[in-house]
Amino acid sequence: MIFRGERSGGRAIPWRPSNVHRGVSGFRFPVGRLPDEALLSGLATGDPELAELFVRRFQHRVFGVAMAVTGDQQLAEDVAQQTFERAWRHAQIYDSRRGSVGTWLTTIAHNLAVDAVRARRTEPMAPEDLDPLLDAVTETPERWALADEASTQLRAALARLPREQARALMMAGIYGMTAQQIADAERIPLGTAKTRIRAAMAKLRTALASPKGGGHVR
Amino acid sequence: MSGDAHCEKLREVGAELALGVLPGRERAEAVAHLDGCADCREYVRQLTGIGDRLIGLLPESDPPPGFAARVARSLAEQTAGPEGARPAGAAQGRRGRVRRLRLRLAAVAATAAVAVGFAGWAIGNAVEGAVTAASSPAVESEPVLVGDMIPAGGGQPVGEVYAHPGSPAWMFVSVALPGTPYNGKITCLLARADGTTTRVGDFPVREGRGNWGAAVPVDLTRYSASRLTSPDGTVLATAQLQKGKVVTPEV
Repeated sequence: MIFRGERSGGRAIPWRPSNVHRGVSGFRFPVGRLPDEALLSGLATGDPELAELFVRRFQHRVFGVAMAVTGDQQLAEDVAQQTFERAWRHAQIYDSRRGSVGTWLTTIAHNLAVDAVRARRTEPMAPEDLDPLLDAVTETPERWALADEASTQLRAALARLPREQARALMMAGIYGMTAQQIADAERIPLGTAKTRIRAAMAKLRTALASPKGGGHVR
Repeated sequence: MSGDAHCEKLREVGAELALGVLPGRERAEAVAHLDGCADCREYVRQLTGIGDRLIGLLPESDPPPGFAARVARSLAEQTAGPEGARPAGAAQGRRGRVRRLRLRLAAVAATAAVAVGFAGWAIGNAVEGAVTAASSPAVESEPVLVGDMIPAGGGQPVGEVYAHPGSPAWMFVSVALPGTPYNGKITCLLARADGTTTRVGDFPVREGRGNWGAAVPVDLTRYSASRLTSPDGTVLATAQLQKGKVVTPEV
């Protein structure tokens, strides 16, 4: 509860809406349930405790992206740490209109991971890693039942793609491989690689634009 | 090449551009076209969104034990280092752990209150999580500054400002201007009693609505009001800042 005026005689601020609980001991809001955007705003102050709270909330997602792209535990840890450092430095320029905090973070992690792999290896991925990862992003087990509808639609659309298009899309979208690198890895002409990427993205766009696909992408 | 031909070419490489894998020369040509073609920009924006969401499908993974603590410690060390290593706008100075915890509690609780009350974030969670024992001990913060944003023409509040004069000092502003389909940036000012002002920064609003939090490298106790203005200087709303305090349950 927030009181205005001096400590002894202040009045409670009528926060709206009124369904926010106010008990006799004051305003109650578990810190762990803070909205992502509010936590990010606090992170911008450089508070170390807010920083740890922020990292704990997103570390599994960020580390998941870093591991998927690099396939290397140590490199993934470096990438994940750099991701949070970058978020900390740039927390004040985060724009919620361009996506959620989680999406912003995973995009940072992905860019850093792709750059790290490009800097250290000539081969962007081990071929044997691709199919298991593709299976992982298209699976729809029970634990995804509560996922947001748009993600479910995207998984389903991805699962419906011809395998060769899905592979090309994963190589480009996850591993950051150029069409030429995909052509070399798949032993197909460059034009075919480009066509597969384009066709896959077009199908996902169409699937997500349908009324059932949610309104995020028109 | 005609505009349509440029658009057709863009549609051929748009997916690669959106996924960040288009080689340099082709990328440069595509970006040059996007500068002058709103339709193609929108097309690529949609594809970029799909690419971002594709990354979001990747499975989560457990980081090594102690990862979060190590990262937080690293950030704290950078905070204590040269000014250039600090987040933009963060105030200088470090205080004791107890004081910092109290400041954090105050800031976090007030941020939550504003966020839940005005931005519509996580209201269900807030209520669900709030129903706890009502007799827990509480921690009182140092004084804070709060105020309702009143529109320039008077009337009902259209937003709220919370200002924490600690170190670092920071503000959280929320506004929903009724009947103002304005999209763009508005400016937040702090005003002293003598009428002089300090510009805090700009923040975006969409259809008159916006929420914004930031560190402010000023002594907030020297200010009596916060003001929002449009880019041409027109005052949209003003909040008179009043001293208050935040009470949070002790954790």
